[in-house]
Amino acid sequence: MKLPYVEYEAPATVAEAVDSLAERQDEASVLAGGQSLIPLLALRLARPAVLIDINRLGELSGVSVADGWVTVGAMTREYVAEESETIAETVPLLAAALPLIGHEAIRSRGTIGGSLAHGDPAAELPAVARALDAELVVRSREGDRVIPAADWFEGYLTTARRGDEILVEVRFPKAGPGTGVAFQEVARRHGDFAVVGLAVSLTLADGAISDARLAFSGVADVPVRATYAERHLVGERPSPELFEEAARLATADIDPPADLHGSSEYRKKIAAALVRRGLRAAVNNAAGDSSRDNNAYERQ
Amino acid sequence: MAQIAAERYTGASVKRSEDPRILTGGGHYVADLKLPGMLHAAFVRSPLAHGRVLAVDVEAARALPGVVAVLTGADLAAVTIPGQDPLFAMMGGGGPQPEYSLLATDRVRFAGDPVAVVVAESRDIAEDGCELIEVDYEDLPPVMSAAFALDAGSPPIFANLGDNILGPHKRSEFGDVDGTFAAADHVHEFHIDVHRHQNVPMEGRGLVASYDADSGVLTVHAATQSVHVTRMGIAMRLGIDADKVRVLAGDIGGSFGLKIGASREELAVAAASRALGRPVKWIEDRSENLAASGQAREESFDVRAAVSKDGDLLGLDVRMVIDTGAYPVMGTMVSGIIEAMLPGPYKLAALGFESTAVATNKASYIAYRGPWASETFVRERVLDLLAKDLGLDPLELRLRNVAPRTTPPFMMITGRPLVGVTTKESLERVARMVDIPAFRRRQAEERARGRYLGIGLATFIEAAPGPRSGEAPSGPMGMEHMRLRLAEDGIVVLFTGQMPHGQSHQTTLAQIAADEFGVPFEQVRVVVGDSDVVPFGLTGGSRSATMTGGVALHGARQLKAKVLDFASLLMEASALDLDIVDGEVVVRGDPDTAIGVAEVARRAASGQFGADVDTNFEVQASFDGGEGGWSGGSHCAIVEVDVETGIVKVERYVAAEDCGALINPAVVEGQIRGGIAQGIGAVLLERSAYDLDGHVHGLPAADRL
Amino acid sequence: MDITVQVNGAARTGSVEARKTLADFLRDDLDLTGTHVGCEHGVCGACTVILDGRAVRSCLMLAVQAVGSEVTTIEGLAPDGELGTLQQAMWDSHSFQCGFCTPGFVMQATAFLTAHPDAGEQEIREALSGNICRCTGYQSIIDGVLLAAQRDRQD
Repeated sequence: MKLPYVEYEAPATVAEAVDSLAERQDEASVLAGGQSLIPLLALRLARPAVLIDINRLGELSGVSVADGWVTVGAMTREYVAEESETIAETVPLLAAALPLIGHEAIRSRGTIGGSLAHGDPAAELPAVARALDAELVVRSREGDRVIPAADWFEGYLTTARRGDEILVEVRFPKAGPGTGVAFQEVARRHGDFAVVGLAVSLTLADGAISDARLAFSGVADVPVRATYAERHLVGERPSPELFEEAARLATADIDPPADLHGSSEYRKKIAAALVRRGLRAAVNNAAGDSSRDNNAYERQ
Repeated sequence: MAQIAAERYTGASVKRSEDPRILTGGGHYVADLKLPGMLHAAFVRSPLAHGRVLAVDVEAARALPGVVAVLTGADLAAVTIPGQDPLFAMMGGGGPQPEYSLLATDRVRFAGDPVAVVVAESRDIAEDGCELIEVDYEDLPPVMSAAFALDAGSPPIFANLGDNILGPHKRSEFGDVDGTFAAADHVHEFHIDVHRHQNVPMEGRGLVASYDADSGVLTVHAATQSVHVTRMGIAMRLGIDADKVRVLAGDIGGSFGLKIGASREELAVAAASRALGRPVKWIEDRSENLAASGQAREESFDVRAAVSKDGDLLGLDVRMVIDTGAYPVMGTMVSGIIEAMLPGPYKLAALGFESTAVATNKASYIAYRGPWASETFVRERVLDLLAKDLGLDPLELRLRNVAPRTTPPFMMITGRPLVGVTTKESLERVARMVDIPAFRRRQAEERARGRYLGIGLATFIEAAPGPRSGEAPSGPMGMEHMRLRLAEDGIVVLFTGQMPHGQSHQTTLAQIAADEFGVPFEQVRVVVGDSDVVPFGLTGGSRSATMTGGVALHGARQLKAKVLDFASLLMEASALDLDIVDGEVVVRGDPDTAIGVAEVARRAASGQFGADVDTNFEVQASFDGGEGGWSGGSHCAIVEVDVETGIVKVERYVAAEDCGALINPAVVEGQIRGGIAQGIGAVLLERSAYDLDGHVHGLPAADRL
Repeated sequence: MDITVQVNGAARTGSVEARKTLADFLRDDLDLTGTHVGCEHGVCGACTVILDGRAVRSCLMLAVQAVGSEVTTIEGLAPDGELGTLQQAMWDSHSFQCGFCTPGFVMQATAFLTAHPDAGEQEIREALSGNICRCTGYQSIIDGVLLAAQRDRQD
């Protein structure tokens, strides 16, 4: 499974990268962490004429907080984000999802931006971005565009990023007081892509849910927000009956794909289970329970 | 039973000789080999499960800079001899003989079937070349199930055969089947399927074939379980004298039955090397390994069980269908072993067994870690299903049916004596370790809380090699050979045809020889992996510990006797008064007489003795397995099923195995754990799946490993 | 293109196409065949090396991407032939059988223990869960790593 012949550029600045992309856009792939792209090349499923390697762009790494937003540079390595106390405090849902991405060695190279630009609906970070209404900032010669997560994921491995654009950073809203999160997934083995995954972020105020965000991975060709379920949850006090109804609403109109790992029916069933469990875990997380049994992240 | 002379090493978890190189990156696997002028091969493979090959256009590939040659199925057919797969031939493969070319010429028969081979300066370029080859296929309807293959209307996969039956239906009966079933209180019927999965060693297939035109010798650096079977297979199919083929093997990254003989790709690479007069390397990648190297265990069983109302399993009547895939390797022969082993350690009075093997448009059915293991699965599964139907405890049902240990030993109705079988003991041991009554209480409590715990039991016996049923050993696996030599530097060298690929033979055989001969462990060397130098052997069939351990023991004894005969001259003592202890020949009870074994060997080689003194410290030993012997044991698994997600967790797994004398307990434990992991993986995680069009599901490997 | 990569403490040069993976560069161009290739798409871990202190899958990096970084392969752990603590502990624990997965496990465990010397069994299991072994059933490998961690703490 050797890679096909490909040209290679390694721009030293974002401006150079943007210029390269402008020249070669239709035949270029951007190489970030490589953990998704290189397997596609090895299998000869991707056939770019040129790779634009952006690993030299140190300016695209880093985490900063300002005005209620947490900005994560696109080239921030997943393991750096995982170890970041800032992210743990300000974007706990992201912190919850990161340990579930692949394996440690994958996270050594994989990047936050790379995962979101790749747009695999079975991956964790797209669901997180969707749940939190993250904003993705792309840059081209024409300048920057800010694309909300809701508009970013267009289809299977397809995003709103134009061929001449490079993803430079992702902005997550800073979690407010009373936030509880959970990322749960059903996977055959640790580190496998989830059969179905669920990102949950709740805000509790005076014992009631004031904000609810649920986003699935693995149920469609893009991450899916369970908006009906969210609306149903807001204003209510947590209870098993509430979670049961949320599960029903969340899965009522998803039509998951069938594959070797499960039928559509199976995926719907486990999606519902994840909603019940995820909501329970998020509520406990909001209450400050950080015991391992009520993990913010949980493999089923 | 032979008793070993000293137990300094045997029975101890001696650290492995293999590990210093393994742990430092110093292992030599076939992919590591570089030879001057070496080229690299890659295969063009069919995307279709079944099709006619109308045209193969290789011109663009041939013209690619860096491509040295392209060989099509037709090119290879011209320079090779058609025949059976070498393992199939070695096992005496019979039945209808399908005719097919080495690589596809007119027909492709599974998705991944090799059609042409590109040989280039690098694997990168070889794969580039493959992409430039255009093959014109005509789709044919694929045969993707055994059920369809059995149908006379299914398109024949082999033109020379009228149908897809490769193992014609045959039936055997042991005991009074009709009478037993007629008289039984109940007859239950079950259908059991074992799904297709596969070996997936961490290292796939591969070889470097190097033909020297000047000498006419083809040297093959292989990943194989037997250098001799590979040698003979290549010699036969390439039409080369067997003594002009030399097969070498270094370290091998696992196999579990995959790497025996020579597959079609390996033969093609050997032929390419001969055609080009240059070394050619082919290293299978993971996609190829999953799609094309072969798959295992796809068998289905219809079982009728005759039982008494108290739970005596009186008789079984079994109909088996095996899906052997597109090119026969050994799938048609597995049923014989399954039939012989089906009674297991139980008092079964009657067995009817019939089997059919069919060809389908899938990768070949190959051996995977005890390919006959369905006999245990089916039998133990049937017992569990009977227990459920009859409302009996699964452990009690088994204990009730286990054959007693009698003298003479209880005979399996299929002909083998159950001598020394400790099924009852291992079942009871495992039950105690788990404390089944306590588990049942916990199970009930947890069920009340909505958690689903389960317990499963199984017991097995394995012929390793198993006692003979009175006849002389038959076939190449019935005897084990070894050459042993005391070298002039005092090293005891064992030459064996075993080809370890994880079994730690370099360590275990040295332990035995060191103890029996009387030298330190470090003074024994085990030589494997050179067909010019080692006797015939094959690592497979779960027999090397007993057979090769046995020949090492007896051979070391014979070698020692020879050395002591000579030493008796040197030391002017009777050989009966001499011993070898810690590397020194010594008169018993008189340590001052000690002479180092190296010194004895040097003196023998000095040429100072007349022709009537035997100074050739070499023996050729053979061992037929002696009394034989059964391995066996019982396993118990406690699992939790998450009924909302279907995910199964193994909470606890316990095994009690009767291994006889352990040569190296850590090695034994490693083998058992590895086998258990494969079993758990097979049931819960692994499947080689095809869709209805014949495409392999779920490539690449993420889903499989 | 000509590249120079720091491998096991030495500057190593080679001439490679961009498409050549770090794994193939190490094995083919530098004759460091200790790093093994098991799947070529990042799921088995046999190709694991240490790059700038982190375990990475060398089959998922291009050789050109390693320029400017420090790479350690299994050959670099015991350059003078004397086994390190982890290797010795794995030898003592009978950690391996066929040895094909071994370099990947050794490098992954080395990187992990360096960063987490006090890790317990569960953390070690998680850290190694991305490396596949087909022979051992894993327990012996975990035992070797645990023993190494214990011995390191005693020193």
